[in-house]
Amino acid sequence: MLGYWSPITQSAGFISRGAIAASAVLVMAGFALSESLPHYKTSPDVLQAPSMAHWLGTNGIGQDVFVGLVRAAPITVFLALITATAALVLALAASSLAAFGGPRIRSAVLRLVDVLQVIPSILLLLLLAAWIQPGFLGLVVLLSLTGWHEDVRVALPILLRELTRENVHFARRMGASRRYCLRHHILPAIWPAIVGLFLQNVRQAALKTAGFGFLGLTDPRLLTWGSMIQDSMDYLYTDAWLWLLLPPAGALSLFLVGILIIGEGYMSNGSLSGKEHHDPR
Amino acid sequence: MVPPIILNMLSGLGIRLLVFALLVLLVFFLPRMLPGDPVEVFLASDLSRNLTGAESAELRAQFGLAGDWPQQLGVYLWDLIRGDLGYSVPHAAPVSELLKASIPWTLLLITCAAPIFLLAGAAGGIEAGKAPGAFFDRIATGAVTVVASIPPFTSAVLLLLAFGIVWPVLPSGGSEPLFPSSNPIQRDFDIARHAVLPVLALSLHEISRFYFLARGEAITLSQRPFILNACGRGIKGWRLRTAYYGRSLFPVFLARMSDALTGLFGAVLFVEIVFSYPGTGHLIYNAILDRDYVLLQGAVIVMAGLVLLLNWVIDAVATSLARRG
Repeated sequence: MLGYWSPITQSAGFISRGAIAASAVLVMAGFALSESLPHYKTSPDVLQAPSMAHWLGTNGIGQDVFVGLVRAAPITVFLALITATAALVLALAASSLAAFGGPRIRSAVLRLVDVLQVIPSILLLLLLAAWIQPGFLGLVVLLSLTGWHEDVRVALPILLRELTRENVHFARRMGASRRYCLRHHILPAIWPAIVGLFLQNVRQAALKTAGFGFLGLTDPRLLTWGSMIQDSMDYLYTDAWLWLLLPPAGALSLFLVGILIIGEGYMSNGSLSGKEHHDPR
Repeated sequence: MVPPIILNMLSGLGIRLLVFALLVLLVFFLPRMLPGDPVEVFLASDLSRNLTGAESAELRAQFGLAGDWPQQLGVYLWDLIRGDLGYSVPHAAPVSELLKASIPWTLLLITCAAPIFLLAGAAGGIEAGKAPGAFFDRIATGAVTVVASIPPFTSAVLLLLAFGIVWPVLPSGGSEPLFPSSNPIQRDFDIARHAVLPVLALSLHEISRFYFLARGEAITLSQRPFILNACGRGIKGWRLRTAYYGRSLFPVFLARMSDALTGLFGAVLFVEIVFSYPGTGHLIYNAILDRDYVLLQGAVIVMAGLVLLLNWVIDAVATSLARRG
């Protein structure tokens, strides 16, 4: 997709930063609003079609789908953002360790990444999730621990490339401290790659958490768009799927498309080479 | 001198054996580390009668929970080596039998879907990458972007709704009619009809991955001298796409396949659940719902072994191809 969306996101840095800020504000607003929102409570009006009273109808136990959709939004988005951040921090820590720690540590880290690469993580996650029924925190821990290694394979080569560049050598020779080099030479150079990885992580995390919600393996009190999709599965043979399935599925897909388009802005800057479309799911 | 491919395969095998051993240990220790006792959980949910001490001890032995940890581990590993994965109480059948019945269905879905998403991904990606920014590229990339953003279970449900319920031209679940036809040709036809939607859902989910890969590669390839030369000599159409682009894509696709394998098995799980297809994913999911931990452990070990094995073979072939250049 190199450059496909770039006309839209030409000033990539500006728009992406804006979008990230906007999503952060949205999440905060969502949490703040959720206090004032009507409760997502059961009622005798089950499986009502959309009307003025219930904008998106009600589900099998009389909960208002619109209220659910709005209440699930900050949880779903926040869960994806936190998981993505945690995985990225782990990956950057491992990459720095490998880059600065000498050849022996580097080969150990790479070997660990290889091992994680061949683990069929979905099976492992299923097994763990079946036992612990993870809630918010559990999901963050499980998904970030099984998702960080992909980032190391992208981040480590970029970090090594930047560390050995002339500008860094020159600055060091001129007496710049390590911290100065990191802040003024290395971080600016790898920043686009980091943001690209982050956005990719957000997509992955959102898809995986939605998957767990859909399988019903998360804590049943954790309301996400994925678990709302699961609620609709029993009503596929009635007309109720129209308002039970489509709103959460649409919201989830819109979120994922949005992240992909924002990511495009960074990709078209050409800062990530080769691996950029590593896993566009 | 040992050829490098052998060395490569051996080191790959080493890692995978290590991973497999770790998984086996994890599967053994996980239920034992969690609070609660599988026997008691089982009894609490399924029986109201109190058991005598002897009966309880017998059940305990049957669950492989007699003795202390090293003893239990020994029994567990010995059973595993003999191919005994335990006995599933809810299904009233040995786990190995259940897996033997369900693995072919999963493999059927994967082997039918793989050519579809590989070929469609390659064809679309090459077409788009030959002329990035052109009409086809804009339409196809936009469409694939949207498809890539629909979670696999949602696209499966939408397919099920569209062709199974709203416009019921295809069966919406299962792998065969309730009463399979005695005529083998009719029976094969029925199986094929039941596989159409799951295969489609699976391919739809995997296509985007290979489409973007092929497109990116084709963009790079278009600037390589041998392609420029071929175009200059007037080679175009089918031959340019297969013999020049397609052949160069092969190693990259293989390398990606070995990465994508885990994702593929994950996607099969969702597809099987949505279509109630009697494969391993469905089996595992029901084991989770039934709290049938013996089956869950056995299925996870076997599937993990299968994934590691396939991924080892593909990896070795991909590495040797990449070495050839």
